[in-house]
Amino acid sequence: MTATKAFVAGFILLAGLVVLALSVGTQGFGWGDGGSLLLLRSPRVLAALAAGLALGIGGAAQQGVFRNPLADPGLTGVFGGALFGIALLLGLFPEAAWQRAWCIPAAAFTGALATSALLVVLGGGASTSRLLLAGLGLNAFTAAGTLVIASRSGESRELLTNGAYGDWLGMATLELTWLPVLLTLLAATLLLTLARSLDLLSFGEDAARGFGCDVGGVRRKAVLLTALAAAAATCLVGQVAFIGLLAPHLARRLVGPRHAKVLPLSALLGAALLLGADTLGRGVWPQAPLSAAAVTAVLGAPLFIWMARGRHE
Amino acid sequence: MSDILIQALGLGVELSGRRVIDGVSLTAFSGQVVAVVGPNGAGKTTLLRALAGLVASSGELSVTKERTYCAQKPSCAWNYRVSDLGDIVGEPSGFANWLAKLGLAELGERRLTEISGGEQKCAHLAMALAVLPEPFGNLFLLDEPAASLDLTKQAAVHQAIRDCAQAGAACVIATHDLSFARRCDQVIVLSEGRLAAAGQPGATLTREVIAAIWGEPALTEA
Repeated sequence: MTATKAFVAGFILLAGLVVLALSVGTQGFGWGDGGSLLLLRSPRVLAALAAGLALGIGGAAQQGVFRNPLADPGLTGVFGGALFGIALLLGLFPEAAWQRAWCIPAAAFTGALATSALLVVLGGGASTSRLLLAGLGLNAFTAAGTLVIASRSGESRELLTNGAYGDWLGMATLELTWLPVLLTLLAATLLLTLARSLDLLSFGEDAARGFGCDVGGVRRKAVLLTALAAAAATCLVGQVAFIGLLAPHLARRLVGPRHAKVLPLSALLGAALLLGADTLGRGVWPQAPLSAAAVTAVLGAPLFIWMARGRHE
Repeated sequence: MSDILIQALGLGVELSGRRVIDGVSLTAFSGQVVAVVGPNGAGKTTLLRALAGLVASSGELSVTKERTYCAQKPSCAWNYRVSDLGDIVGEPSGFANWLAKLGLAELGERRLTEISGGEQKCAHLAMALAVLPEPFGNLFLLDEPAASLDLTKQAAVHQAIRDCAQAGAACVIATHDLSFARRCDQVIVLSEGRLAAAGQPGATLTREVIAAIWGEPALTEA
């Protein structure tokens, strides 16, 4: 498929999903009197779009940095780190956390950045197993930390558990959503500028240096921006696996591996996947809606296994 | 005398506590092709990487111009089209020219997994050469650039190296191909990380040196 066709198809799909998502909810199908339900649902739709976009482009960027199609901020513990950062803030300063709009995003970013830095130190190099083992360890550690804090703090317990299950979209309001959305757009825009450098990095660090790429600088920027995207996504939806893995895979299948195409198409597909999953979870079982993360996992896991079996890189 | 592009004096490299390169000196002038030969494990790759500044080394190393290093086994994480590679290094026309010179012009639309290992190597070499469109005054460090290539492509790679040198570059080539080494301006013979012989091919690749470094049976091959 040509890149233009893929992007046009992606945009049409996304627009259709937005209309559908705005029309579906626990009150049934429709926009309510004078569009009242539309206003109620739009923050959630906005949050799902931004979080999906961040997950998609973050996954593509992390795969580019680690030269590894199995890298995904969900598997490598970066989302876990973001949630752990939020848990630490809620556990240590429960009052301060909600006083300023930036407190929770800042905590998430600090957690995501710390995990990313550890991942680079522990899992760097070309070895897939080393990267995934380091990610597995970091994921387990941050999950354990979040669990400990959640079980000790009565007030935040439900909130953190919901975050770990990727079930935060339901509480999206414009007040909570605007800053992570802006951070997502910032991270995504800056990540797009790294496209050619990520292409160069795919030839290995030595070769990339020979081609005139500032390897250290590119890696630092990409890791920082991926952490920012992961933090923003975590603030909006909580932890969601598979989208960071699936969106870049699908994008590469559609338009080939050039990062100038893969990064934006992953963002588009990530937004469509998360919004689609959330809408499906709300629409099919309106009385007991499933979280976006649950739907993503139920549909994403088999799809990923099927994709991993074929040669498609 | 032409310009000295790289000079190493008593170069040493330690990898995981083992001294892999020990007291190697080398000088390459503009216009020269220098062959680095030696048995497997002699330290050819490490020497090239040290000259390229990719591993820490002791001793003196002075490099006056840009260095381009081309690895022995280039790899790529993603399955690009060959024609993408020129865009990726930002020199599409230079890349296409080198690709044509190496006899691979027809590969453009194929993906990296659809071409042979030797062709992948040539494509990487074309990328490395394209980055520095004017070879004059530059230093090329190529690790076995012609290994696993058929005779036609070997000849094309060797010609490309000579073209670069003629345009004023200095080329340091790690190789197992002694007949190519004999046609170079200088030969560095490495053995267990040390300099076993260095100088003009006629003076270095003698029967005695070959027998001492590679063993008697190698004489029939060399």
